[in-house]
Amino acid sequence: MRTRWHEIWGCGRGPAARLAPQSRIAAGAVLFAAGLTAPAGTVPGIVLTAAVTAGWIAACGMPGRALRSFAVLGLAMFLPYFLLAPLLVARASAASGATALARAFGAPWDVFLHGLAGMLLAAATVTVLSASDLRRGLLALPVPDVLSAVLIQIVHQTGELLAETKRVAAAVAVRGGSGGGRSAVRALASLPRVWLPRIISRADRVAEAMELRGYAESDLRILGRTALRAADAAVLIGAFAILALAAALRWRLRG
Amino acid sequence: MSGGAALVFEGVTVRYEAGEAPVLADVTFALGESERAALVGLNGSGKTTLLMAAVGLVAYEGLIRVCGTPVARRTAAEVREKVGFLFNVPEDQLLFPKVIEDAAFGLLRRGEGRTEAYRQARVILDGLGVGKLAERPVLHLSHGQKQRVALAGALVNKPALLLLDEPSAGLDPPGKLALARLAGRLDAAMLMATHDLDFAGRLCRRFIALDGGRIVYDGGDAAAVRRMWGMEEPVDGRSSPLTASSE
Repeated sequence: MRTRWHEIWGCGRGPAARLAPQSRIAAGAVLFAAGLTAPAGTVPGIVLTAAVTAGWIAACGMPGRALRSFAVLGLAMFLPYFLLAPLLVARASAASGATALARAFGAPWDVFLHGLAGMLLAAATVTVLSASDLRRGLLALPVPDVLSAVLIQIVHQTGELLAETKRVAAAVAVRGGSGGGRSAVRALASLPRVWLPRIISRADRVAEAMELRGYAESDLRILGRTALRAADAAVLIGAFAILALAAALRWRLRG
Repeated sequence: MSGGAALVFEGVTVRYEAGEAPVLADVTFALGESERAALVGLNGSGKTTLLMAAVGLVAYEGLIRVCGTPVARRTAAEVREKVGFLFNVPEDQLLFPKVIEDAAFGLLRRGEGRTEAYRQARVILDGLGVGKLAERPVLHLSHGQKQRVALAGALVNKPALLLLDEPSAGLDPPGKLALARLAGRLDAAMLMATHDLDFAGRLCRRFIALDGGRIVYDGGDAAAVRRMWGMEEPVDGRSSPLTASSE
């Protein structure tokens, strides 16, 4: 069930994977915005959010294992908001019964729908981006170079940091963290003190290597770029049209 | 002393905190063009600090020159163009997700075309026995494989000076052999910090030993270093505890 960090990147095999990397990132970002913009309190808004999410997941060819992992994570993160409903019902008791219930469940439902959709849309986008694609795509988009370089390194180094974290956790387990009782609590309490200095020290060393290898002052576009084609333009126009539709639905609701 | 030298240290002292004991104290030596030397010493003797100082990553007192250029903040970029550096933790210097991208980066940033840069990088990777990993993500590699890829990134620019921090650490015997063969063919001057005297002995005829930040031996006798570390074979034939526990 568990999907590892480095396995998620670029594992999608859908038609979206054939677009230029910058189009994949842009389309994913625009659809993410559309998913968050569509109103959760109306049927058209819910249908649009669900359709955009399902459509982009299919277009990216997100593997079932990754989809299940993120769906479970999303449910674990956003379902607990419904636990707030009784409190909200009590606060909305001035309204009539059905309206109070609708108001009380409205906020958690909004968070749940948009949270889950946003997470799945972002995850689907990641599945059609290898780390190299991310670099090529970011550098082709109007994003400041420094920001791109830092983002690329964050993604690249996260895998290493997760591996480091696993090693620290394994050491903690071996040295009594999984022995139960007090030893486990003591070992877990020491985890931040062990983990943080290691991560900070590693960040220092990576910064030194970046300086030494001329990473920061180099134009990373030297590693290649991908030109846009008609299909890229069509997908981007479609994504912006969906965002406009989502915005119109929300605007109409407010109007 | 510095005529034709690839690396010169003259009275170099490094302190990480003012008022504390120096990590390097009055270190003086010169490494000739194409000369290979092993920088040996026990843990905490100052080997890594010395290498870091040579590329301007650590502030120092005294004078360091790389191929005639004094190492200072304003000359750091010029100095680093002449140096290939291997960190002791390879993960730290692998900055790109794919092996070939990382290995070719040095050439690309010097203006080499992508096809030619990748071709040259593949030659180096092949020489280190990891050519078949060229298209693999760096994250999927073992420690030893990462070590070789990091080394390829340091070698690809054909630097005049190679500074290698524990180059054989984590390498399997064929990996060590491949590295020794490849390094033996290079024209570059080389200073390698290592505990691995057998490996160092294959490549170097000179051993510079550090102890407490000071050079305590500079010569061609590896046995002298072993004796300093208490690793000489006792007369009765039993190995010393240090010999048994090392390597």
